[in-house]
Amino acid sequence: MPIDHKRINGPEDTLPYQLFTKLNRKSLEQKYKELVQDGKRHDSRAPLEHRKIFMKTGVVSQAKGSAYIEVEKTKVMVSVFDPREIPNRQDYSLKGEIYCEFKFAPFSCEKRRLHQLDAEEKQYSQIMKKALEATVCRHEFPNFQVDIYALVLHNDGSALSAAITAAGLALSHAGVPMYDLITSATLGIQKDTILIDPTTIEERICRTPFWKEKEDNEHGLVVLSMLHTHNQVAQFYQSGSISLDKLPHLIETLEKACADTIPVIQQCLVKHVIKTIKKSSNVIEV
Amino acid sequence: MGLSEAEKTYVLHGVEENLRVDGRDREEYRPMELETDVVSHAFGSARLRLANTDVLVAVKIEVDAPFPERPYEGKLEFFVDCSFSSMITWVLNKMKPQMASSPMNSHMASKKMLAKERTIKMISMDIGLPSSSANATPNFEGRGGEVLAAEISNCLSSAYCSSLSFDLTKLCILQGKKCWKLYVDILILECGGNLFDAISIAVKVALRNTQVPRVKCIDMDGNNVEISVCHDMFDCQRLNVENAPVMVTVCKIGDKCIVDPDVAEEQCSVGSVVVAVSGNRFSTVLQTGMGSLHPLTLVDCLKMGHKVGQKLDEAVKEVLKESLRGGDVGFIK
Repeated sequence: MPIDHKRINGPEDTLPYQLFTKLNRKSLEQKYKELVQDGKRHDSRAPLEHRKIFMKTGVVSQAKGSAYIEVEKTKVMVSVFDPREIPNRQDYSLKGEIYCEFKFAPFSCEKRRLHQLDAEEKQYSQIMKKALEATVCRHEFPNFQVDIYALVLHNDGSALSAAITAAGLALSHAGVPMYDLITSATLGIQKDTILIDPTTIEERICRTPFWKEKEDNEHGLVVLSMLHTHNQVAQFYQSGSISLDKLPHLIETLEKACADTIPVIQQCLVKHVIKTIKKSSNVIEV
Repeated sequence: MGLSEAEKTYVLHGVEENLRVDGRDREEYRPMELETDVVSHAFGSARLRLANTDVLVAVKIEVDAPFPERPYEGKLEFFVDCSFSSMITWVLNKMKPQMASSPMNSHMASKKMLAKERTIKMISMDIGLPSSSANATPNFEGRGGEVLAAEISNCLSSAYCSSLSFDLTKLCILQGKKCWKLYVDILILECGGNLFDAISIAVKVALRNTQVPRVKCIDMDGNNVEISVCHDMFDCQRLNVENAPVMVTVCKIGDKCIVDPDVAEEQCSVGSVVVAVSGNRFSTVLQTGMGSLHPLTLVDCLKMGHKVGQKLDEAVKEVLKESLRGGDVGFIK
């Protein structure tokens, strides 16, 4: 990857100190045992329980629409900017375009992230774009482009789905025409343990298989975004190694998790509408 | 290539009748042509032609230090280049107006034009393109190619990420100090639809074809590590690609799903799902395309992708077996 010479990136080959702590030396088997103990995870949630969500609109005054989401420690800010003409485009496109940028702040993860988008961020941008393309009525603004920027302030797992959910809220805050509200959820699987909304530690455990030879060594992460009123999957991404028999069940579980998030967004939007009406009625009275 | 509404309806009706425009049924692939050992400077290479789609994959190996969080594993990276086919289009487009406005007399101009046209034709003949700009995939122009390339390489690295699909520990030379790094360079020579499938097969075959040098001895001097590699050119080890993923693009047209869509069919589809099948599991599933899918349709797509993927994987393995039997004959070995 070419290096941006205008920035001082700091030493290239530094390591996060966590690699050398005792916690990291635990064997995989031990980690798996500690994943769910007495039906509870390390943050005392049930395996299929989502973390608590806080959402707020209008956090960036410069942007047309913006949203902030907190899923306990995971914090993401999304801003949406006015439609503008697609730059450097010769032909006329009948449908509007969406530009997405998903960025981890340099301090958001264990390892310091650089200012440029790396491969993982590019992939997440692409997935986010795919999810939002299916949500926005793109025929309403032909030849124009809407810019969406997601910035992860703190990554404690499931950052991508938090960003997609927040982007949906930010788009509706910006008044961009949409078919439906979009919500997204992540799921981790290791052996036969299914964890909704995994934290960073759980995500890491789900990324690697424990046994090579045994049959039940399924593992992986699944991200699903839903448009609920129409019952449509806007985006689906799975990694790891999961059998065909398990996937339909996982999809169903994720659908439910997505549906549970809807009221939070609705409440947040209602709050925003009430606030705006109050403001405008105040102006009229004056 | 833009399709009119009537053409789209024609394709759609064909899919519904289970008889597609080129006579295939919904679960059938176009014929493939596979060549290995095509690049002599690479450690392993493969070229795959799937009807009009042409992909060249070459594997290069270098010595590197492993990631500190995974000291037992080697490295594997994918680079996709779509720019080549767009360059040809670009050359064709660029030359035409120049010829028209050349300030020479008509006779000279026409002679020169002929000469130029011939060179263009030769370029396009060399790589097996039609001499018109039929390969002008608008997605490839400018930065569009970059986005597609990033999508494909991300999907590949995600599919090869799990150690159940590809074992990176075999590439470790000395734990925490030295490992092999595989650079898999993918060049798209022509795009005739269904890039994901073609590339995944070509990558699998190229990795099978790759010869990793055998390490004879490792000398440790304090922190310095010196390795020496076998001098015998033919003493090398092969990679295990038993479970290397094969990708299948399942494309939804109308109410039905098809595999291996050509360019026209890709345009008619509302959404598609790329499944990477490794053994009997999915190593990656990625929804692509513009539209959204009903959850039940998604499951149907997964089932179809799983079935076709396993068939495809078997076919690839059979071809590999045959080529190995034939390939080792000769007086050198």
